[in-house]
Amino acid sequence: MSESYEFLFKFLVIGSAGAGKSCILHQFIENKFKQDSNHTIGVEFGSKVVNVGGKAVKLQIWDTAGQERFRSVTRSYYRGAAGALLVYDITSRETYNALTNWLTDARTLASPNIVIVLVGNKKDLEAEREVTFMEASRFAQENELMFLETSALTGENVEETFLKCARSILTKIESGELDPERMGSGIQYGDALRRMHRQEKLQPRSARPDCAC
Amino acid sequence: MAFTQKLKSLIGGRQDSLPLPVEESVSDILTVGAGVTKSKVEKKPVNPHEEQEIIDGIEDKYYNNESFDTSLFELQKLPEQLDLEKITEDCVKLRTQLQAVSKRVSELILQNHSAYATELQRVMDLQRTLREAGAVCQSGRRQLSHARESFTIASLGLLANYRKRQQLTGLLKSLRTIKTLQRTDLRLREMMEEEDYCGAIQLCLECQKAASTFRHYKCISELSSKLQDTLEMIEEQLDVALSKTCSGFDVQHYQKVQRAYRQLGKTQTAMDQLHMHFASAIHNTAFTIILGYVELTAGSGGAVNFQKRQYTDLCKNITIETFTPCLVDLCKALWEVMKSYYKTMKWHEVHDQEYAQTESEHTGASVEATFNRRYVNQKLEYGRGRIWQDVQQKVKMFVLATNLSGFKLDEFIYVLDIINRMIEIGEEFCGSKSEGLQDSLKQQSLNYFKTHHQMRLDELRMFLENEAWEMCPVRSNFNILQLMEFRFMRKWATSQHLIPENETRKGGESYDDNSAPDGETKSYFSLYLEEGNPFDKQTEEEEKEDVFSGMGDNEDGYADSDSDSDIPDELKKDYIDEITGETHSYKHSKRRPSSRSKGHRQGPLITNTTFNVLRVMGKYLQMISILKPIAFDVISCMSQLFDYYLYTVYSFFGQDSVSVDLINPQSDRSINTRLFTTLQRIRENLVAHPNTPNHIATEKQDTTDKITAPKMSPLVKLSDASTLFGLAERVVATESLMFLAKQLEYLQPYLEELIPSNKKAFLSQFYTQTVNMACEVRKPVYSVVSRQSIIYESVLQQMGTVRWDIKEIMSQHNAYIDLLLKSFTEFQKRLADIDKRVPLPKAVTNLIWEQCVRHANRTFVEGYASTKKCSNEGRALMQLDFQQFLTKLDQIVELRPIPEREFVEAYIKAYYLPESQLEGWVHDHKEYSNRQLLALVTSVDHLGRKSRQKLISMVEEMEKARRT
Repeated sequence: MSESYEFLFKFLVIGSAGAGKSCILHQFIENKFKQDSNHTIGVEFGSKVVNVGGKAVKLQIWDTAGQERFRSVTRSYYRGAAGALLVYDITSRETYNALTNWLTDARTLASPNIVIVLVGNKKDLEAEREVTFMEASRFAQENELMFLETSALTGENVEETFLKCARSILTKIESGELDPERMGSGIQYGDALRRMHRQEKLQPRSARPDCAC
Repeated sequence: MAFTQKLKSLIGGRQDSLPLPVEESVSDILTVGAGVTKSKVEKKPVNPHEEQEIIDGIEDKYYNNESFDTSLFELQKLPEQLDLEKITEDCVKLRTQLQAVSKRVSELILQNHSAYATELQRVMDLQRTLREAGAVCQSGRRQLSHARESFTIASLGLLANYRKRQQLTGLLKSLRTIKTLQRTDLRLREMMEEEDYCGAIQLCLECQKAASTFRHYKCISELSSKLQDTLEMIEEQLDVALSKTCSGFDVQHYQKVQRAYRQLGKTQTAMDQLHMHFASAIHNTAFTIILGYVELTAGSGGAVNFQKRQYTDLCKNITIETFTPCLVDLCKALWEVMKSYYKTMKWHEVHDQEYAQTESEHTGASVEATFNRRYVNQKLEYGRGRIWQDVQQKVKMFVLATNLSGFKLDEFIYVLDIINRMIEIGEEFCGSKSEGLQDSLKQQSLNYFKTHHQMRLDELRMFLENEAWEMCPVRSNFNILQLMEFRFMRKWATSQHLIPENETRKGGESYDDNSAPDGETKSYFSLYLEEGNPFDKQTEEEEKEDVFSGMGDNEDGYADSDSDSDIPDELKKDYIDEITGETHSYKHSKRRPSSRSKGHRQGPLITNTTFNVLRVMGKYLQMISILKPIAFDVISCMSQLFDYYLYTVYSFFGQDSVSVDLINPQSDRSINTRLFTTLQRIRENLVAHPNTPNHIATEKQDTTDKITAPKMSPLVKLSDASTLFGLAERVVATESLMFLAKQLEYLQPYLEELIPSNKKAFLSQFYTQTVNMACEVRKPVYSVVSRQSIIYESVLQQMGTVRWDIKEIMSQHNAYIDLLLKSFTEFQKRLADIDKRVPLPKAVTNLIWEQCVRHANRTFVEGYASTKKCSNEGRALMQLDFQQFLTKLDQIVELRPIPEREFVEAYIKAYYLPESQLEGWVHDHKEYSNRQLLALVTSVDHLGRKSRQKLISMVEEMEKARRT
C-alpha cells in the first residue's frame, strides 16, 4: 500500500469467453501462467503500478467475464474506463468474429476517448492459428485500434500490451486530448499529486493557527 | 800450636776445594818464606830452645786476628818520643821472631809434605771416581728418559683415544636422535596435512618423551620447547579440524578428531570447543550469507563497508527482492550446521555404545571415561537447545528486519512455509516450540495480513463503488464450495455432512493428498540427512502447493459443475418463459406458485461484489490454515468484510429519500434498534469519515484500520418510480447480503474450530450482532419502496372527502378502496416486470407486500381518524370498505395473516363500545396515536358530553405520560 503513483488508469479487459483474458491479467500481475483457469464469474480485479515514460502509473484493471450471461453484470464496469484490452483467441475465429460487438459495447458504454488495444492471444499455439496477423491488423487499422499478439502462456507481449495502452493514454493527457479532471475519464491523480492538491486547499486553513501563535 | 792447627785445618779444608795448583802456590809461599828465612838465619844462629823462646815471646795480639795489621800495631806501639834504639831493638826482635816463625813454619811444612802429598793423591782419586759416577748417572738418566718417552706415553694416549672414541659414538647417536627429533617436526606437519591427528599427537608425545631423556643437551631445551609449540599447534589444528565438523559432518574426520582429543585427554574441552565452534559457525554462516546478499544488491554504489556492520543492521539492508532467496539460503546453511550437530550427536550415540561394549571387557580406568561420556552427552543434549536458540535467533532477526507487507500472497506464503519448515525442524531437532520463530511468524503474518486486509478493503470499496447491483447469474444450487477459493474446505464439508453425497468423492482424494505431506514433514533429519536440503524442494513443490491458484487437476469435476452454470443461457430463457407463464396464469387462477418452478429458478441473488467478498474470505480462510497464530485476526478481518458490505448495503439502499439518519433512528420505525446499534458500531469502528475536519490530522491512524464509505455508482438510480425506486438493485443488494450472511452461517462451525477458544465470544457476538442482523436490513430497504410505490397520500386525501355521518346502510364501498387496490395492482405488475429481470425471492415479495398492507392499514386508521362526525352507518361503511379491501387484496397477494388487520378493525369497532368499556379500551390501546384516539372519542355520538370530556382529558394525560 505504500506504493505511490502519479496517475491511476481504469482499464478493462474484454472479449469472448475463453480468449484468455484472465490469463493475460494473471501473467501481467503475477508473472506466471495460470494453469487451471475457470470461466470468470462476473468481474475480477487486479492492479499493478507500472512505469510509463518515467511516471508511476497505477493500473486498475477490471477483468470481465466473457460469457454472454454475465454481459449485464460486466457492462456496468465499462463506465469510465480509460483503456481497454480487446482480447480474442488467434486459434478461434469465433472469438475474432465477435470483436465488432465487443468494440461497439466498449465505445458506447465506456468513456468516448477510451484507448483500445486489440490483443490476439495464444500466440504460442501457432499450429492452430485461425486468424492471421495481417487480417487482425487490418481490422485494427480500420477501427483505429492498436494491435499486438500475445501469449499469456509464455508472457510474450503481455506487459507490452498494458504499457502500450498506458503510454497512449499518457500521451493523450500530455497533449491535452484527455482531461483527467473530467468525470468518467477513468483517470485519477495518484497519491502524490492528490496530496499536492489537498495541500493547496489546506493552505489557508493551516496557516491560520500559525498566525495565532 | 794453635797456629799450626789452624794452618793444618786450613790446608785440610782446602784439600777438597783447592785444586792442585794450590800446592804450587803453597810452595811458592814456602819459597818466599824460605828466601826470607835464609837471609835471617844467616845472621843469627838459632837453637831450638831459643827459637821456642822467641816464638813464645811473640805478642798474643798477633794471634788474635787473621786480618791483624801487624805494621799498624807496631806503629801504634811506638811512644811519643821515638827512640831509635828501641825501634831498632824492636825491629831486631821482630825480625828474630819472624825468623823463628818462618823457620817453624817451614819445618812444619816439610814435616807434613808427604802427608800432604798422599792426601792430595787421595783427593785426586776421589775426584776422579766422583766424575765417573756422575757420568754413569748421566747416561742412566738419559736412557731412562728415553725409555719413558718411547713406551708409556704412546700406550696411554691410545687408551685415552679409545675412550674418547667411544664417548663420541655415543654422542653421535644422541645427535642422530636429536636430528630425527628435529625432522619429526616436518613429519608432524605432513601428518597434520594428512589429517592424521592421532598419529601426530602420538608422535609428538613420543618425541617429547625422547626429548626429556636428552634434557642434558643444550640444544634440546630449544627443541622441547619447539615440540611443545608443535603440540600446541597440533591442538590448534585439531581445533580447526573440529570446527570443520560444524559446516559438514564427516564420520571419518570426526572420528579422527575425537580419537585425537581422547589421546590428549581433552574430550571435555573438545566438547566445549565444539559448541563454541557451532555457535560461531551459526553466526558466521548467517552473517556471510546476509553480507553476500547485501553486497550483491548494494552493487557498485556501495562504498559502505558492510563487513563491520552488525548482523541486525545488515539484515535491514536486505531488499524485498532478495529476501526470499536470502532466507532460503540462510535456512539451507543453518540447516547444514544443524545437520552436522545432529550427526555429531548420532555419532556419539552409536560410538558410545560401541565404546561401552569394548569397555565392559576391560573395566579398568573406565570411571573417567564414563564420566567423560556422561559429560559429553549432557553437553550435547543441552547444546541442542542452545544451537537451536541461536539458529532461531538468526532467522528471527532476519525475518523481522524486513517489512514483507509488499509481498505477493504466494510469495509470502512461501516465506511462511520456509519459516514453518524451520519451526518443524526445530521441533524435531530439540522439541522446541520455537517461540522466537513463532513470534516472528506471527508478527510478520499480522503485519502482512493487516496490509493485505487493508488492500482488500480498499478493493472492496472499489468494487462497491463500481457495483451496479446487477445479479450475477449462477447455478441455483450455488454455494461457496464451488468457488475455487473454498475448494480446500470440501474435506471439512464432507466431514460435516454438509455437501451432497456426489461431491464427497473429491474430499477423499484430497484427504490422501494431505496425508502424504504430513508423513513427509515427520522427519527432516532422516530424509535429508545424507543429501539434499529441506529448503531445496520448494522449487518443484511450489507449483503444486500454489493453493491460491487452485488445486490443479482434481478440480475438473468442480469445474464442470461450475460451468454447468454456463449452460443456463438457454435455461435462463426457460426461466423467463416460466415467469411470463406465471404472470399470465395467476390472473386467472388462484396463484399457487408451484414449488418446483419456484425452487428451480430461484438461484441465489449474488452481486459481483459478493463474489469478491467470498473470494477474499476464502483466501482468508486459506491463510488461516497457514497463519494459524493469527487466526483470530484473520477472522476478525473477515468479519470486517461483512461489516463493510452490510454497512454499504444499508447506507446505499436503506436510508434514502426518507431522511432516516443514523443519528436519529426513531424517525424510522422500520429499522430494528439492534440493527441500528450494529450499524453504528460499524460506522464507528470501520468507516473513516473524510468529511470530518479532524480527518486529515488523524489520517495516518485512520487509514491503517479504517476505510472511507463508498459512494454509490452513478449508474444506479434509486429515485425512479418506474423501476420501483431501484427495487431490482435493492433486491440484488439486500439478497446478496443475505446470501453472504447465509454463507457465513454455513462457515460458523468451521470458524469455531479455527478461532482460539478465548476468542469464541467474539465470534458468537459477530454472528448474533451482525450476521443475524443482515435480514433486518431488508425492512428499511424495502420500506423505502413500499412506502413510495403506493399512493397512500391520495388515498388518504380521498378518504377525507368521504362523509361518515350517513344515515343509511351503504351497499357499495367507497372509491378510495378501488384507488388503493389499483395502485396495488400496478405495483404488482411492476413487481412482475422486475421479477423478469431479477427473480424476486418470495420472502422479499412477502415482506414488501406486508409493508404495503401495513402502510395501507395505517392509512385506513389515519383516514378514519380524520372524521369529525361519524354515525353507526358510517362505521358500517368503514367495515364494508375494509372488507372490500381485504377481499380484493387476497386476489392480488397471498398474505396470511394480514398484518395489522386487527389494528384497523379494532379501531372501527371501538366506536360501538359502551361508554363503560370505552374508557378501558382507550387505556389499553396505546398503539394508536393521540390524534386517532381523540378522533375516536369525539366521533362516538352515543357518548355523553361529560364522559366524553373525561375521556378526552384521559387521552391527554396519556399523551403527557407518553412524552415524558
